[in-house]
Amino acid sequence: MSSDFETYEQDFGTITAEVTNKIGRIPKLSGEEKTQLVLNVDKQLEEVRELLEQMDLEVREIPVQSRAMYNSRLKSYKQEMEKLEKDFKRSRIAYSDEVRNELLGDDAISSEGQRAHLLDNTEKLERSSRRLEAGYQIAVETEQVGQEILSNLHTDREKIQRARERLRETDANLGKSSRILTGMLRRIIQNRVLIFVLGAVILLTIILAIYLNLRGH
Amino acid sequence: MDNTGKEKEAMQLMAEADKKVKASGSFLGGMFGGNHKVEDACEMYARAANMFKMAKNWSAAGNAFCQAARLHMQLQNKLDSATSFVDAGNAYKKADPQEAINCLNQAIDIYTDMGRFTIAAKHHITIAEVYESELVDIEKAIAHYEQAADYYKGEESNSSANKCLLKVGHYSAQLEQYQKAIEIYEQVAMSTMDNPLLKYNAKEYFFKASLCHFIVDELNAKLAIEKYEEMFPAFSDSRELKLLKKLLEAHEEQNSEAFTEAVKEFDSVSRLDQWLTTMLLRIKKTIQGDAGDLK
Repeated sequence: MSSDFETYEQDFGTITAEVTNKIGRIPKLSGEEKTQLVLNVDKQLEEVRELLEQMDLEVREIPVQSRAMYNSRLKSYKQEMEKLEKDFKRSRIAYSDEVRNELLGDDAISSEGQRAHLLDNTEKLERSSRRLEAGYQIAVETEQVGQEILSNLHTDREKIQRARERLRETDANLGKSSRILTGMLRRIIQNRVLIFVLGAVILLTIILAIYLNLRGH
Repeated sequence: MDNTGKEKEAMQLMAEADKKVKASGSFLGGMFGGNHKVEDACEMYARAANMFKMAKNWSAAGNAFCQAARLHMQLQNKLDSATSFVDAGNAYKKADPQEAINCLNQAIDIYTDMGRFTIAAKHHITIAEVYESELVDIEKAIAHYEQAADYYKGEESNSSANKCLLKVGHYSAQLEQYQKAIEIYEQVAMSTMDNPLLKYNAKEYFFKASLCHFIVDELNAKLAIEKYEEMFPAFSDSRELKLLKKLLEAHEEQNSEAFTEAVKEFDSVSRLDQWLTTMLLRIKKTIQGDAGDLK
């Protein structure tokens, strides 16, 4: 009879070990597997309860002297079973680590984050180097434009200088021509005065001649 | 509507002017104020030409201006004649380039006669441009540009002279007259080196001269580059010089990929223009040609 009890104890041990294992695995699974496992654990818990009942009956049939030891063992087994049941219940509603990871991100997901971070950095570097190159190109273009403008300015400078020279020449020429014109004007006036004077003289001579003629008669 | 009306008016004026000229040709007309009539005729020709211009009848306008110019010559008005020839040339430019060149040539003769070389040079440039664009006769264009440059040099306008010389060099290199191009570019570069306004251009001219040297002979190019670096230290910092050195290396090793790469790199920063691409292509062909010989 005690050997029966021992067999029951061994069975109890194996089954509880399995149940603990499965309870540990339940939170990590989901869906189909989870339900399967849950049913499994349920069945095993049923078995465990039947075992305990059998052990109880056995203990009752044992003579009173050695009952105490078996009783205490039975109590501890019952407590274990209750604990298993509690664990089982908790595991069915527990949020597993996986879910927490999904929400907040932990080591596995943090390495993903690092990779994204590095890629981001590389892209930023590339963008800045592209901008630098564009800036350099613009600087070179500006230099070329500046060159052209400078040479145009130089040509224009020479043109302006030449124009100024020509202007001075023209000015001098104009001055000369105005002097010549004043000279001409003077000569014209002189000529006119001369003509008047000569005219006057001739008139006088004629009048004198007539007068003398008349006097002569 | 307005234009055709103008044309008719213009033709009438021409006919009148012709009559006047004929009339003055006869003995009596010559005695009694023939000059006066010819002057009138000149003016009428000019007005007729302007009306033809309004009607966009360029060849008729050019013709009218030419007539006016000849009459001015008769009256010994050289300046007026030259201006009329220039107007005729401008009108003919749009219709008949050859005729335009004739008129402009006559105008240039008159100006050089009078000693106005700057204006003559300007018209040489116009003729050269016509040759460049419409008649595509590069040799004649070069000749005119050279003439213009000489006149400008005579009048001490070195900037304008350099502008013309550059064009001469440009086209001579295209026509494979490399020696001439090299001389011109060197000359221009050295004269611009000292001028503070223009020295930023000098490195470009040295670069072009070195390219021409390169096409002729690689060793020449090396010597030339050293000489330029000595003369003009700013040249050594330029990207162009770095490109040249890379090209020399690639040429020595007969490596046309390195050549292409160096050219591409330079192009990515500042685009290569038509002339440069042609020259570089010629150099590249010599590389590949040599490689072919080796095989």
